[in-house]
Amino acid sequence: MLDTLVAALRSLLPHDSVITDPVRLRTYECDGLTYHRATPGVVVLPGTAEQVARVVRLCNDFGVPFVARGSGTGLSGGALPREDGVLIVTSKMRAILEIDLANRRAVVEPGVTNLAITEAVRDRGYYYAPDPSSQQVCSIGGNVAENSGGAHCLKYGFTVNHVEACEIVTPDGDLVTLDRMDPGYDLLGAFVGSEGTLGIATKVTVRLSRAPEAVTTVLAAFESIEQGGQAVSAIVSAGIVPAAIEMMDALSIEAAEAAVACRYPEGAGAVLIVELDGPEAEVERQFAQLEEICSGAFELRVAAGPAERAAIWKGRKSAFAAVGRISPAYIVQDGVVPRTSLPSVLAAIDRLSAEHGIRVANVFHAGDGNLHPLVLFDDAEPGAGERAEVVSGAILDLCIEHGGSITGEHGVGVDKSRYMPRMFSEADLDTMQLVRCAFDPQGLSNPGKVFPTPRLCGEVPGVRKGVHPLVESGRAEQF
Amino acid sequence: MTTGVTIREAGADDAVDGVRPRWVALPETVEEIAAVLRDCAERDLAVVPVGGGTKLHWGTPPERCDVLLDMCCLNEILEHAAGDLVVRTQAGVTMDALAAALAEKGQELALDVPFTEGTTVGGTLATATAGPRAFRYGTARDLLIGITVVLPDGTIARSGGKVVKNVAGYDLGKLFTGSYGTLGVISEATFRLHPLPAARRWITAELDPAEVPSIAAALAASQAEPSAGEVDRPDPRGPVTLSVLVEGAAAEARAETLRALVGEGDVADAPPSWWGLISGDEVLVEVRFPATGTAAVLDAAAGTGLPLRGSVLSGRVLLESWGAIGERELAEAVSGLRAQVEAVGGRVSVLAAPYAGVDRWGQVSGLPLMRRVKERFDPGRRMSPGRFVGGI
Amino acid sequence: MDPKLINDCVHCGFCLPTCPTYVLWGEEMDSPRGRIHLMSQHVEGTPITPEMAGHFDACLGCMACVTACPSGVKYDRLIELTRVEVEREHVRDPQERAVRGIVFSLFPYPRRLRLLRPTLGLTGRMARFLTRVHPSLGAMAGLAPRVERRQRLPRVVRARGERRAVVGMLTGCVQREFFPQVNAATARVLALEGCDVVVPPDQGCCGALSVHSGCDDQARRLARRTVRTFEQAGVDTVVVNAAGCGSSMKEYAELIGREPGFEVRDLSEFLTELGPVAKRHPLPLTVAYHDACHLAHAQGVRAQPRELLSGIPDLEVREIPESAICCGSAGTYNIFQPQAARDLGDRKAAAVRTTGAELLVSANPGCTMQIAAAMRRAGAHIRVAHTAEVLDASLRGVTL
Repeated sequence: MLDTLVAALRSLLPHDSVITDPVRLRTYECDGLTYHRATPGVVVLPGTAEQVARVVRLCNDFGVPFVARGSGTGLSGGALPREDGVLIVTSKMRAILEIDLANRRAVVEPGVTNLAITEAVRDRGYYYAPDPSSQQVCSIGGNVAENSGGAHCLKYGFTVNHVEACEIVTPDGDLVTLDRMDPGYDLLGAFVGSEGTLGIATKVTVRLSRAPEAVTTVLAAFESIEQGGQAVSAIVSAGIVPAAIEMMDALSIEAAEAAVACRYPEGAGAVLIVELDGPEAEVERQFAQLEEICSGAFELRVAAGPAERAAIWKGRKSAFAAVGRISPAYIVQDGVVPRTSLPSVLAAIDRLSAEHGIRVANVFHAGDGNLHPLVLFDDAEPGAGERAEVVSGAILDLCIEHGGSITGEHGVGVDKSRYMPRMFSEADLDTMQLVRCAFDPQGLSNPGKVFPTPRLCGEVPGVRKGVHPLVESGRAEQF
Repeated sequence: MTTGVTIREAGADDAVDGVRPRWVALPETVEEIAAVLRDCAERDLAVVPVGGGTKLHWGTPPERCDVLLDMCCLNEILEHAAGDLVVRTQAGVTMDALAAALAEKGQELALDVPFTEGTTVGGTLATATAGPRAFRYGTARDLLIGITVVLPDGTIARSGGKVVKNVAGYDLGKLFTGSYGTLGVISEATFRLHPLPAARRWITAELDPAEVPSIAAALAASQAEPSAGEVDRPDPRGPVTLSVLVEGAAAEARAETLRALVGEGDVADAPPSWWGLISGDEVLVEVRFPATGTAAVLDAAAGTGLPLRGSVLSGRVLLESWGAIGERELAEAVSGLRAQVEAVGGRVSVLAAPYAGVDRWGQVSGLPLMRRVKERFDPGRRMSPGRFVGGI
Repeated sequence: MDPKLINDCVHCGFCLPTCPTYVLWGEEMDSPRGRIHLMSQHVEGTPITPEMAGHFDACLGCMACVTACPSGVKYDRLIELTRVEVEREHVRDPQERAVRGIVFSLFPYPRRLRLLRPTLGLTGRMARFLTRVHPSLGAMAGLAPRVERRQRLPRVVRARGERRAVVGMLTGCVQREFFPQVNAATARVLALEGCDVVVPPDQGCCGALSVHSGCDDQARRLARRTVRTFEQAGVDTVVVNAAGCGSSMKEYAELIGREPGFEVRDLSEFLTELGPVAKRHPLPLTVAYHDACHLAHAQGVRAQPRELLSGIPDLEVREIPESAICCGSAGTYNIFQPQAARDLGDRKAAAVRTTGAELLVSANPGCTMQIAAAMRRAGAHIRVAHTAEVLDASLRGVTL
């Protein structure tokens, strides 16, 4: 089956855009989550939306599943290939097609990196607000699939709040534009965050935001996580909405220090990064309030300029990968709890850690209760990996118990699909499946992701009696 | 009916856009909604949900309507987690009751509604009305973080949750927001909240319409960060009143910066009387447009002879009819308006009109996919059938 | 190869946007993360296939990925080890072997280079002919610059004014044969800043080209000889003005298995540590400073050259966009991978043009040659200079 498909793909795409060499194929076996691996049947690197559509139509003709991949930085295995399928990589589609500052938007191809958009407009006082930690490498197509957030989504929201329109290739190979301005169902809202199961974005119109007049980045060092947590609560109850509130515990500070020498205050049990932005007059007032709130901090640093601001953020943004410096292996977890539950959840994580003899470093978006526990283990030690898995899973259970979510920004992918039934009822999942079946009745677009068990989109039982009056009158068509 | 839910015979007042239902059901819980819908499914009865009824005549009339599902009894605010800036509420709660409850804790749902009373959470979501502050805070779909819906077969389904940051599963909330009751019944909603601003100021000025586009562009790009910028033009040949809202502890100082951009105007701590409201909506036309289309939209709107009101910052204005306008006259006005607006990348939707012969939605690029979604959710075409785009 | 070095990679992909070949082609196999994956395939038993070797060969060794990596993966070490394996295991096709043979019997030997110089100098017709034979030979011919009058440096250049230091100076191979004026400027600047400059006349190639190409034995032999030469010269510090040489010499301990008896410093690094004493005369110029990969990424020297240039009155330093991306010169890269080198050169040239600068400055003659050639292709011209030449002009109060 695949052989015939490959021949057809070769007639469709330039020679070097179809990869079948086994050694090359294996380099695509996983995304940012290396725990799950599968060598794709074939990799294609289309250069245009039309090529993507034709590849998808071929997949339909052959009944072969396909998976889209951007930069391959996802942390839930959302771009895990199928051995019996086609991996459609968008990394050659990376043109910024249009920058339209008058309408505060840019049109980009899906392979463009998140940061590239900001870099293209920064000089003119604009930026693209969502800022996942991997922003220098992750692609907009991937951001759309995962509805990526980032440290600043506390105030500014997620990818879905900043995408104005998407040209997509539907799972049956049609090119369709979903535009926020169009009347009708908000299919764009449903598409963003659907993890590649509803089609592939081939052109994305993003909203550009005006750079704030003032930005104040504060690093507050506390003796303990509890003190840091109290400060966060106080900030929220003071009615301040910072652009970001981030927290790191001692272990993650140690890792960041080893990796990028971020020079956070020595001996801190927790550091809080608070970024205030907006009109200068507001930021000044909020900063005065913040200083008072953080009076319990043993050190308070205020970034004096962009360079110092970048230095404060550097430790935070490289924290995940930096943990590689202090542990041979680790699991990056992503869960959400209501912010007010943070103290009790963190205490429970501590207990789990002690119980199983597994260290857990905590990096989190404290403002919105998005935890990123890094579960550390030595893969050379027998049984350690399994214990780490147990701790990691138990943390998700904690999140669900507290009314939170099993993922705040990394997505469900292949990694967490088995947790979906713990968060959602059968009826909830069946209802989501209705959307899936509407877009992808054949189940070819990234199958096996998000939902725990593959479901078939059977014929929908329905009562239909004769011709609708609307159809008769020509005002609607029968579907 | 056998559900145990309060049911009454429908009267003339219960008509949905001229279509009179047979019964009105008054469920008190989500489970009761499910029971009613299951019953209706068995008997192939068509259902139209209603909240305060303020927008019941919007959209096209339903193909049929047997049961009006009145959500007025689901009027409980279920949970206001002030520390988390989140509220979970039943769909029948009115927006003003919700605002009053939230204000007690110094918070608000930053979603402005176009009617002063009666508007419910469910109706606001189902029609996805956008108010002045959409420019700063987004629209209903941007503030909604969790939803409970009841499908036409009685299935109760939830998506999202009560945390702001959550990407688990599909976002049914987005799909149901603005679906005009055609996919199922919105029964509960969870929103992210904002702290009430310490102060608010409105800068209001009367302007020559020709000045509006450049001032709007300057306001939108201003680092003084206005929350909203609304225009009112009751006389299509007359001047435009522009009012700009700024919120925050330093609102007074920022208002001066913004006034300089407007060039003139009074600063007040209360909005002008027309702010964000719909005065008459027997005929209501919505125009959405990119910023560069502002001048063309103002021109085209004046050409229709209808009064205009709405946001020049977020690119959404409404044309109302305050006098009688005939079917043919309206159809022609809309098609002329649509041609001019679409030429600058905008869209025209007729939200309300008492006529069948007006093209309400124009071209909708995703329509085939929308039909497939409708087919999956409501294969029996029993939920508000025919009320939305393409006769969905 | 040590699998531990490979396992340091957590597959985060932060290296991707900094990798020149990924920037060009957008393919995983031609990114650092992909190449590390290929290395692990090899360690797990997959033999080196021609495809695999091709992806390793395509690596410029610019080390931008090392700078970008938050996990501290020693990619520099990994690719060097891999290149040794490729040379050992992989049988190249005869034509490729021949070209590589010529290059490695030529570049590390200044005297042979000098003999061949007139041949290389015949750019035009000769280059066209060579390109027909093999694109790499054409590229080699196209590289050769117009050579100025050869200046022989004395064994010792004495400090002007108070003597503040005694340093050794590496004259290099390409630098010495094709850019003698850079060496002369370096020696003058050091002397004007109060250094006795020891220039051992019998010094040869430092071994950098061989290290970067996986010619392990040749590299070790050349390194040992260089260490011996400077140890015999009795200096504590050796100042190097070529980025590629400096980065390899800083790794001598690992290569030869013992610490050499001297420290290696890049010229700009040494001068900033020493601090300025000589008077700077104004140079009213706008300058685009290009980060040579072997200086910025391999040695972490970014701030110092900018500081030195900015210290010159009336001189304005402009940043080049995408400064972390290699220009495609990369030692022998433009000889072995002419098309990729050319594409990268064009990209860099376009970036340099956006600065509107009059002069392009870099610490590596290979880079400036490469970029200037690309700019000529695009119909633009820019003057080029080494950091040492700019300083020299300012210190002496002459125009560039």
